[in-house]
Amino acid sequence: MKRVIIIGGGIAGMQSALKLKHRGIEPLIIEKETELGGKLRGWYVLFPSFTPASDVLNELRNQVQKAGIATRLNSTVESFDRDHVILKGGERLDCDAVILASGFTLFDARIKEEYGYGLYDNVYTSADIERMLNEGRVTMKNGERPKRIAFLHCVGSRDEKVCQKHCSKVCCITGVKQAVELKQFFPEADVFNFYMDIRMFGPGYEEMYREAQIRHNIHFVRGRISEASPTIDGRIQIKAEDTLTGRPLHMSVDMLILLIGMRANDDNASFARSAGLERAENGFFAPRDQFLGNVESNREGIFYAGTITAPKNIGESLNDAAAVADTVAQYLGA
Amino acid sequence: MTFYAPFCLPFLLGATFMFAALVWKWGRWLKRLPRKDKLLIRKGIFSSATLRAIREVLLESLIHRKICRVNPLLGYMHMSLAFGWFLLIVVGWIETVFYMGFKWVPVQGHVFFKYFATGIEHNAGFEFLMDFLLLMVLSGVALAWAKRFMSRRMGMRRTTRHVPGDRLALSVLWFIFPARLVAESLICALYGGGGFLTGSLGGVFAMVFPRDVLIYLNESSWWIYSWCLGLFFVALPFSRYMHIFTEIPLIFLRAYRLKSTEKVSSYDHFQIEACSRCGICIDPCQLQSVLGVNDVQSVYFLRDRRYHMLTREVADNCLMCGRCAERCPVGIDLNTLRLNSRDKIRNMPADRRYSYLNGIDRSSGTGKVGYFAGCMTLLTPRILDAMNRIFTASGDEVWWADKEGGVCCGRPLKLSGETDAARKMMEYNTDLFRKHGITTLVTSCPICLKVFREDYRLEGIEVIHHSEYILRLIRTGKLRLEHGSTPFTYHDPCELGRGSGIYDEPREVISAVGTLLEPRDTREHALCCGSSVANTAISDAQQLKIARSVTSELEDTGAEVIVTACPLCKKALSRGATHEVKDLAEIVAEAMKQKFS
Repeated sequence: MKRVIIIGGGIAGMQSALKLKHRGIEPLIIEKETELGGKLRGWYVLFPSFTPASDVLNELRNQVQKAGIATRLNSTVESFDRDHVILKGGERLDCDAVILASGFTLFDARIKEEYGYGLYDNVYTSADIERMLNEGRVTMKNGERPKRIAFLHCVGSRDEKVCQKHCSKVCCITGVKQAVELKQFFPEADVFNFYMDIRMFGPGYEEMYREAQIRHNIHFVRGRISEASPTIDGRIQIKAEDTLTGRPLHMSVDMLILLIGMRANDDNASFARSAGLERAENGFFAPRDQFLGNVESNREGIFYAGTITAPKNIGESLNDAAAVADTVAQYLGA
Repeated sequence: MTFYAPFCLPFLLGATFMFAALVWKWGRWLKRLPRKDKLLIRKGIFSSATLRAIREVLLESLIHRKICRVNPLLGYMHMSLAFGWFLLIVVGWIETVFYMGFKWVPVQGHVFFKYFATGIEHNAGFEFLMDFLLLMVLSGVALAWAKRFMSRRMGMRRTTRHVPGDRLALSVLWFIFPARLVAESLICALYGGGGFLTGSLGGVFAMVFPRDVLIYLNESSWWIYSWCLGLFFVALPFSRYMHIFTEIPLIFLRAYRLKSTEKVSSYDHFQIEACSRCGICIDPCQLQSVLGVNDVQSVYFLRDRRYHMLTREVADNCLMCGRCAERCPVGIDLNTLRLNSRDKIRNMPADRRYSYLNGIDRSSGTGKVGYFAGCMTLLTPRILDAMNRIFTASGDEVWWADKEGGVCCGRPLKLSGETDAARKMMEYNTDLFRKHGITTLVTSCPICLKVFREDYRLEGIEVIHHSEYILRLIRTGKLRLEHGSTPFTYHDPCELGRGSGIYDEPREVISAVGTLLEPRDTREHALCCGSSVANTAISDAQQLKIARSVTSELEDTGAEVIVTACPLCKKALSRGATHEVKDLAEIVAEAMKQKFS
């Protein structure tokens, strides 16, 4: 039986494994964490349908378990080529093809020091909000209910200053989703979204954006926040410009939420070197062809699935996985 | 003895032309100097400054001490050519006096003495000495040839590319001394005499060629020698060899404390034409070594400016880190020349700009000590937070100039060439400082520090960097720090180190809280973080590339934390570092024994 190693046990990795298994190919998932699931483990509900992330995650995990798919948890890949993978520690695993599905890294908001993340109380990232929603407790640091909340879009995306020129695609809709969620938690609070553009690319997204404004009375201000500073009473003073009215704007908020972007993993560089793979300027891997070879690499026998090639939403990552299973099966002649 | 032959003509005409050109050029530059520069010259000329200048001329223009220090082989090349040639002239003159007594000999008589002095008894000592000097110059020529073809062997990664005038002068210069050697040897072949070099080579010639051929070759070779000299002299004022003579008045003017300023002035000509285009400035340039940008370095900038072909791209593409100026053997004020070129290209009258600044005052607190965070510190609030804690611990009453936002110090605008607009900001901030009656002004931004010290008129207010302030607090016991075991390394910010001469204070502060590990390039030779506000030409990706090359050197020290003392360097380095990057104030605040809420 042909064996395919899948690097990364997130949703793209799990789905690829399932689809391969159905075709009679033996997949092996290598995951560096203690369990499968990847980033989805940290999310609360999914836009735009508010489906609990755990529904999707549990379904995939159950299927993987039922199908008896081999997994290596707590294992980090050192290097690989199309016929083998070497784990940290030196263990060598042979295979007939490799699917790289190791996803993305969240932008570290501390790099945009001017927003004070990790320095001032009540500055959070979108990932923190998902965690807090999961824990069922969203409050200010002192336990009070926030009366004014600001979301800032494009933190670590479309920002040449931190060398992340690309759009991370899903943060806009995440901002709208979280704004609605927080508005439901705190109906008395004013919720603002500071944005450059609002990019509603998916089905139901634009509708949700309109609903956020009309039904939930969430304010959208076109302009980036330039700086944040703490006030004496522990709130956050923000400076921005409303570019639609052309006026500078100062505002104190109780919570500042940074919608952090998706960036390329640090180990992409060494993977690219060891396996001879081509990367785009932003550090994500470049598929062989944008249209007809979207899940293939420039090397035969090495394939891509999910956000390893670009920021994607959950549906797109799962579709990638199905497509890669088909392509790999064809490659192996199975 | 007559001292004239037709072959002297090219030499005589060339030399006359060259001296006329020199007098004309220098005269014009001097005449156009601003009044205050002329006053400086008048004040300095009868002072000890003149003696100091003479000494420097001997050391630098002849012996080339500074080049020797940077690169001994290159130094020897310059010295053997300059000093060797000079001695050939001096010893040649003494030789003439020795044979002829103190009587007037025309200049070609000195230069071509061997040709005319065939009928006299030769002194072996002079023959030896003159041959020895010729050999010394020839060894320099040989090195110059080698440098053209194998610059790496000479300890330079790159050598300079030339303009056509240079090529002519350079080619002729290469042949002057070999031609002289051949001409003098042929004379020896015909008439005897000569030292170990010309005498021996003359002997060989006498063996190889019959006498009538020797006579013909001898005449031709003196013509060639004279033509080489003449052509070189004609090309000199238009080529880089103008530096040979221009460095001399430059040294004097510099001794009289003339300076280039943010506006172009006639004094700049002396600096620009004193550049020998040795190319020493190319190697230290990180735009060259990291980014492979090969046409913007100081040597090319000066060349382009001199020949009126300076483009905005070249003028703008410089970090103004000062690494090249640090090495420049002529001591040219490269950053200021670059700056006033930018001013000429971009400056616009700013009479009505920034009028909205009038009357704005967002400062807070009261105290004799003022703190100016600067734009970059406001964008790196960890530093601001650390300074706040340090001020609280110090017990000093502090006036915060721009905590709630203030007006820029003006240096970024100045560095971009908009010097008039920058003045507006400087005036605004000066008024603000005066209004609040501070006596000490602390800033954590070296960019602000440099402009406060150099361009603001802040008499009565002491301007210090936070590294100096913190060190003072430590020394006076106002700040008690816990010495930990963290190994730190320190990145010298350009504006603080080379720009303001502050190297020791930050190091002493770091040593008070942990161990300091020095990177390979440090202090005067420290690398630039790459995000300098002076460069508006390179992209963020290129800045990052430079930052990565710097952080990898810093991380090679084995330190856990990279410390710097500039908010801009901090931001730049943290983009490229895998280790933590902190400002000096942050590590101090973390090590404070006093705890404050």
